[in-house]
Amino acid sequence: MGMMESLAQLREEAEARLKSCQSPEDLEQALVDVLGRNGSLTTILRTMGKLASEERASVGAFANKVKAALEATVAEKRAALNEVAKQKRFESEALDVTAPGALCSPLGRLHPMTQTYREIRNVLIGMGFSMFDGPEIELDDNNFTMLNLPKDHPARDMQDTFYINENVVLRTHTSPCEIRALTTLKPPFRLLMPGRVFRVDEVDASHSPVFHQIEGFVVDKGLTLGDLKGILDAFVHAVFGENVKTRLRPSYFPFTEPSGELDVSCSICGGKGCRVCKGTGWIEILGCGVTNPHEIANCGYDPKVWTGLAFGLGVDRMANLKFGINDIRLEYENDARFLRQF
Amino acid sequence: MKLPKKWLGEYVDLHISNAEFIEKMMWRGFECAGVEKELSGVEGIVVGRILSVAKHENSDHLQVCAVDIGSEVLTIVTGADNVFSGALVPVAVVGSKLGGREMAAVNMRGVMSYGMLCSGSELGLTNADYPGSEVHGILILKEDYPLGQPIEIALGFDDEIFEFELTPNRPDCISILGMCREAAAALGQSFREPKIRPVKGEGNAADYAKVSIENYDLCPRYTARVVKDIVIEPSPTWMQKKLKSVGMRPINNIVDITNYVLVEYGHPMHAFDLACISGSHIIVRTAHENEVVTTLDKKERPVTPDMLLIADEQRGVGIAGIMGGLNSEITDSTKAVLFESAVFKGSNIRATARKLKHVTDAASRFIKGVEPVGAELALERAIELVSELKAGTVVGEMIDIRKEKPADREVTVSVEHINALLALDLSAKKMADMLETIDIHARPVPGGLHVTIPHFRTDIESGIEADWDVAEEIARIYGYYNIQPTLMRGDTFRGQINESFLLEDQIKDTLVSLGLYEMYNYNFTSPSVFDALLLPQDSELRNAVRILNPFGEDQSLMRTTLVPGMLDSLVRNANRKSKHLRFFEVGNTHVETGADLPEERKKIGVILGDETADFYQLKGIIEELFRVLGVSGETYRQSNASYLQPGRAAEIVVADGTRFGIFGELHPDVAASWKADGRVYLAELDVGAIAGERNSHKRFVPLPRFPAAERDLAVVVDASVPSAYLKRVIEAAASEVIVSDVRLFDTYAGFGIPAGKKSLAFSFALRAEDHTLTDEEIKHGMDAIIDSLKAIGAPLRA
Repeated sequence: MGMMESLAQLREEAEARLKSCQSPEDLEQALVDVLGRNGSLTTILRTMGKLASEERASVGAFANKVKAALEATVAEKRAALNEVAKQKRFESEALDVTAPGALCSPLGRLHPMTQTYREIRNVLIGMGFSMFDGPEIELDDNNFTMLNLPKDHPARDMQDTFYINENVVLRTHTSPCEIRALTTLKPPFRLLMPGRVFRVDEVDASHSPVFHQIEGFVVDKGLTLGDLKGILDAFVHAVFGENVKTRLRPSYFPFTEPSGELDVSCSICGGKGCRVCKGTGWIEILGCGVTNPHEIANCGYDPKVWTGLAFGLGVDRMANLKFGINDIRLEYENDARFLRQF
Repeated sequence: MKLPKKWLGEYVDLHISNAEFIEKMMWRGFECAGVEKELSGVEGIVVGRILSVAKHENSDHLQVCAVDIGSEVLTIVTGADNVFSGALVPVAVVGSKLGGREMAAVNMRGVMSYGMLCSGSELGLTNADYPGSEVHGILILKEDYPLGQPIEIALGFDDEIFEFELTPNRPDCISILGMCREAAAALGQSFREPKIRPVKGEGNAADYAKVSIENYDLCPRYTARVVKDIVIEPSPTWMQKKLKSVGMRPINNIVDITNYVLVEYGHPMHAFDLACISGSHIIVRTAHENEVVTTLDKKERPVTPDMLLIADEQRGVGIAGIMGGLNSEITDSTKAVLFESAVFKGSNIRATARKLKHVTDAASRFIKGVEPVGAELALERAIELVSELKAGTVVGEMIDIRKEKPADREVTVSVEHINALLALDLSAKKMADMLETIDIHARPVPGGLHVTIPHFRTDIESGIEADWDVAEEIARIYGYYNIQPTLMRGDTFRGQINESFLLEDQIKDTLVSLGLYEMYNYNFTSPSVFDALLLPQDSELRNAVRILNPFGEDQSLMRTTLVPGMLDSLVRNANRKSKHLRFFEVGNTHVETGADLPEERKKIGVILGDETADFYQLKGIIEELFRVLGVSGETYRQSNASYLQPGRAAEIVVADGTRFGIFGELHPDVAASWKADGRVYLAELDVGAIAGERNSHKRFVPLPRFPAAERDLAVVVDASVPSAYLKRVIEAAASEVIVSDVRLFDTYAGFGIPAGKKSLAFSFALRAEDHTLTDEEIKHGMDAIIDSLKAIGAPLRA
């Protein structure tokens, strides 16, 4: 048999063997057996030196062709086997993606009221409001008298008060912060004053003796009732969405005039009327108004020059509405199953 | 305020639905809480005629009736024995409602009864409402009503009553006339206040009675009229019906007249039996020491010298503005009456009512505010009714004791200012026209609007507030809904979340990221918690602020610490089998200091109660919080806090002695008081102290440019030696190299370690700023550390 024939036969046999390999290990072994230092191809090539030079050139060219073809086959086979191996791994490592995730360090939760408070706050900050703080236990003077609610004013009965002594109360609203602001800061200013307030209300689904308010208080020249409506619409839409309707209707507070209460269309029933909105389609969320001139004057400013706009909204109620919570008591029970939802 | 639709209809043409009316009133500032039916609980009861009555075969006392209700003839079984063929009766058919109960067909001893015949009392009627209502048995109707007609329509009890919630600034609307005035304006109709026909009586009132006021400050006006030859009898049906429709119980003609006027005009009146007034002399005076007045409700009420009495020459005959005296009550034998219509100072009546714990209907009117002209109108109206009802002979004219004649109040308000407040541009004429609709007379004058404040509008000031008072009226009439929302103009402001609020945000966000749920606990606490926390008697935490009028003793104090509230909530969660028992709270505590206001301290509370929690996890949370907040250099030492377990309690302090707070494991005795199972770890930190020490402006420290050599070693020391001490020794030991990242990674005592000793293993890094350390330098560094440790009695562990 001539060299060419040997090479051709080798090529045929080697191709067959390579193609039949079932694993990367088989393939590597076949590679060594054929193309390795002592492989069959190498062995044949080693005998080439004995050939005449012109024959050597043609055999050499053929041998290189065979070698390249075999190497191509190996590469192809290797890729195919790798692909099979990968597929096997994928199959064997497949996971139940519906199984629950694992937390290496679970996050806690911010109370829904904190979240609601921040949302309202952020809108007002964007409108140029700054923050101001006042104490939870307040002078009767700041909580009532300076706010145009002297002792024995009948409207004092609107807010049942916890007393510490004759002159000190648990603040019944965040409005005493207005007095503290007017007597320590110089207008113009835009302030928001969040905090806890207290009223003698027996606990039930919609009443709590402790609750949270955010007081908004703007003092400047030339403010109007329209400006107040603008501020209120802005944050109601930010918190409840653009589709929520608002309704400012007349009311009365001793420290504002004109006074109003703001209703929003019920987020539970969309305004059709339900148990939460008592069938009216509206839910009251805050009281507001143009600051009463007596309050401005009590603090040493001329009410004909400086106009105030004020509103006090219940954070608890806003949070309940926002999240659809139907019982205010849940806000203070700190049940982990409740808190986890927010 | 109850406003019956029919009464309203006497003044206003109510041509719209209830809902539309309610909305119009809402826009005027009058909120309607609901609408009630005059015959409450009666629904679907109709007129029927009994066609036949037969004895029930299986019963001695039951009768079987065939009843024609127009549309059909029903078989109805009744136990009443006053029914007869041909009688017209109220029939509760199947599906109708009576007193909240729905009628159903029932089998009565073998006979199906398709409904029930009703008695007058079942419908809530009395003889005064409809003759024969109180007879025993079924109500037999007297007139020929159409069969099948709803009973409330047939009998004229189909009124509806609006219940309005009034704001305290509108006492004038606690009256039918006040409400009708507003309702008419809301509906765009004109309201005409009824004219009272003055009655001039016979003779001279002074011959019959005399009135003196000793304290004009508490009683600025007292008007009275005398009526003699009184005939006490029930008031006419129309009056009784109207009184009942506003929830008042008819008594007799004289008392009913005063009540009727109270409802109509809103001014409380009283009628005295003149024969019981000693010397026929009414004296308005403050009470004497140790005086007692027995009021109409037969209660003996001790009165004090700050209270105003109506007295005669010998004794009190009533407590002014609260209730009349039993000794001068109108009885069936009363022959002559003195009608009182006075003005008492609201704040004084408020104080008296509170002191006596007796806020009567009259008192609440005086508290909300009455006025002198209204007093006179009410009295004249009462006398008009006396005459109309022929209840007696009116004597002479009004007795009117007062210091000053009531005068109209006038004020000029600025149209420009009102427009500016409301963002409107109304002319003075337009404003005057608007005000006229609610009987406020105004006319344009140069520079403004001259307003005559009607006597009944006590809420409108003639002083500083006048512009705002009138602006409010204009806004109400113009409609708040017509005022366009605008964004504030003028200077802009830099809005910002101030430092203290930012700190609170940062604290909360950090603790949430460390896995804690945020709690909100009440501020109220019980005096018993201090003993439960084992606090020493002189503990500052016992100086709690006490509430004068708490819900109960267990909620009578303001919390001085967050711990009890957190424990309550933790235990509640544990009892509910919650798996998550890691919480924090940021809230205020108060300590009584004797100053005007107590000291308010904001605190951070952390509580861990799950099985995996331990002391060092809690400490890790605290340390991480401090790093985020920019607090550094704090040290930890044993604390003797009473409610923490000794040896597992730490106090956090900084170099200047400021205390950040304490943390540790809950004392087992305290845990037992709270019925807390398992171990509980808690911390309480002072936000104010942290705020003062933190460096909120963090500075970048360049990263090391050369690699560090990481090493560790273990030493044996006395069990009592704190690891932080060794850590400081390691950090300071070598001067040639930088020792950093010193960390205790193992604590061991037991086999191989002598008793009373422990092994502590530390890891750390050695480095230089400007080159990689050589082996030689590392060895020198290690030697220095080992020598320093040995020098303080901490040799390497063998």
